Amino acid sequence: MLLTGLLVPWMLSAALSSVLRRSHRLAAWLTAAAGVASAASATRLWLNALRGEATVVGSGALFRVDGLSALIACCIAAVAGLAMLPGSGIEKSDAGPDGARRFRIFGSLFALAMLVAVTINNVALMWVAIEATTIVSALLIPLHRSKASIEASWKYILIGSVGIALAFAGTVLAYFDFVSLLGRRQDALNWTLLMHVAPSLHADVLRLAFVFLLVGYGTKAGLAPMHTWLPDAHSEAPAPLSAMMSGVLLAVAQYAIIRWKAVVDAAGGPAFTNQVLMALALVSIAIGALSLVRQQSYKRLLAYSSVEHSGLICLGLTFGPAGVFASLLHLLNHALAKSVSFLLAGRILARYRSADVERVSGLMRVMPGTGALFAAGLLALMGLPPFGLFVSEFLLFRAGFMSGHVVATSAALVLAGVGFVGLAGHLMQMLYGAAPDGVAKGERAWWGLAPLAVPLLAMVVMGLFLPGAVGRLLGRIVEAMSI
Amino acid sequence: MQGVFAQVAVLGSSGVLLCGIILLWRRGVAAYITAFAWQSTVLAALTAAVGYFGADPQLYVVAALLFGIKAVAMPRLLRRVARRFAAGREPDPYVNTATSLVVSGLLVLLAYAAARPLEAIADVPTRAGMPLAMGLMFVSLFVIISRKMAITQVIGFLMLENAIALLAVLGTYGVPLIVELGVFLDALMGFLVMQIFLYDIHDTFSTVDVDVLTRLKH
Repeated sequence: MLLTGLLVPWMLSAALSSVLRRSHRLAAWLTAAAGVASAASATRLWLNALRGEATVVGSGALFRVDGLSALIACCIAAVAGLAMLPGSGIEKSDAGPDGARRFRIFGSLFALAMLVAVTINNVALMWVAIEATTIVSALLIPLHRSKASIEASWKYILIGSVGIALAFAGTVLAYFDFVSLLGRRQDALNWTLLMHVAPSLHADVLRLAFVFLLVGYGTKAGLAPMHTWLPDAHSEAPAPLSAMMSGVLLAVAQYAIIRWKAVVDAAGGPAFTNQVLMALALVSIAIGALSLVRQQSYKRLLAYSSVEHSGLICLGLTFGPAGVFASLLHLLNHALAKSVSFLLAGRILARYRSADVERVSGLMRVMPGTGALFAAGLLALMGLPPFGLFVSEFLLFRAGFMSGHVVATSAALVLAGVGFVGLAGHLMQMLYGAAPDGVAKGERAWWGLAPLAVPLLAMVVMGLFLPGAVGRLLGRIVEAMSI
Repeated sequence: MQGVFAQVAVLGSSGVLLCGIILLWRRGVAAYITAFAWQSTVLAALTAAVGYFGADPQLYVVAALLFGIKAVAMPRLLRRVARRFAAGREPDPYVNTATSLVVSGLLVLLAYAAARPLEAIADVPTRAGMPLAMGLMFVSLFVIISRKMAITQVIGFLMLENAIALLAVLGTYGVPLIVELGVFLDALMGFLVMQIFLYDIHDTFSTVDVDVLTRLKH
């Protein structure tokens, strides 16, 4: 029932948006309503998971929602809802009425595919859903047909598809291991069953599988050196799509990595997976942070910041239970901060008509509301208090030092400092100074800003104290993942 | 019977790999498409053979889908794209033919090394083909990286999918049918979207040479 409430609204909104050709306002509000309904169901699933029960639906336990699924499903539903909300997310003025309609259709399917990916029990069908996210989101990148956006979408679909194909090869190898041991079974690829039999599987085959899985899902998660598509796709895509891709699609890929890491760890201990994951994570943090310094476009700035944070999340996964806890908190905070920042960047782009940091100045005078919130979003992404990312980064680095990874943690800390400087410099340049000629002053559509302030407020709350509902859920996930 | 099965498996896998390597020494989109069509045909035949020897009728369905989608429909669509663009000979690739062939040989050797733990635990008669499937995976990746035309990269990607399908059929007699259907659906949709982008690239840049895709740097 709850699962129906999570998934069906998006099916309906995709169908209605394609039927309602003329009535844009109606379609827009119906799609936004789908987001609200879906987010409400996701919240209920979160509460169920708090009680320690996994919601299992369908024959042969086709769908299974535990704490980890509920956490990411909540992020997806909330961010997708925000991206669809008139005034805050997709606008007719962004892409023309046809573009907005296309966005509502494929954006709904995109949200649906992500939600299926995190709620389905079978890891091969999870792969099918994640591959589907690449296909539907690629269609939305060239919403404005320009050379740059077509180039970005080509890189995205080619690199994304190749990467994800390798993840399927990894899935096949794991299935092969299972079949060699226990014979062919329809439910062999159910995550719960895999976890159950993992201790008797062959650790060396699973390690080989994990390399393929990590390269594959790591490509989708924006881990360097497979990240090359990310800055292009995230910066050329229309803002609401960037918000969904950067805020939650990366989290979905990380979800897949977390699930598989748990299986491989249960088979042969975490030493191997931690090593490869840590290497990729450190390279990502380095490339993300160093690229922040010399970016000229604020959308690419946000994209490279995603590479950095993706690396931090993966780094935390290698720091034992306390690190996993910090990683998940980081994932949640990053989803909120990054999606809001991208949506605000879309508002700025619409006014200044340039994504160049140099040509955006005097933001506080031109758009006081947007400017203030954008500053808050970027300060949050830098990891400053009182925002939640400060707490999660602090917990992450502490877990690193406590678990004895002094060198890796120190390196990450220094690099995060470099990223901080890079972001801060660009932000100051944008906020102050004289507004360029020809840019109208004064905030428009104030009411559209209110929904964007909500996630930032939630981050402040998580920065001041850890709400019980969040802390207990993360605690349960950590417990379930480290058997 | 088992002996024949094992020989058929190795013969079929070699055929599939060979079609992939043809891509490296032929120069011309038409030849690539033919090689891909033949590869898919051999793969479909091998899948049917595994279904027969392994007594799994589900694999006949998979073989029929493979043949219909990858050996008939996709090559036909690809030929139409190639005609429309008048895409003939490939511009000089980043790596020349002789080096490419040496590299592909090394990649197959690497695959044999990587697949050793697989062969050690497998008890299926088809296991000897698994390193060849993995070799084709590496060769396809090499094609995607070293060729310049967008359409060649698409063909390389389709061959990568074939390689994984081959690995699944040899190692486990195919993945569960519901997964197989999902994978086919994704493959088909992904191909259609890539085809749209091929037309988009051609219309906007008036070439399908990905060397022109360099606007976005850093």
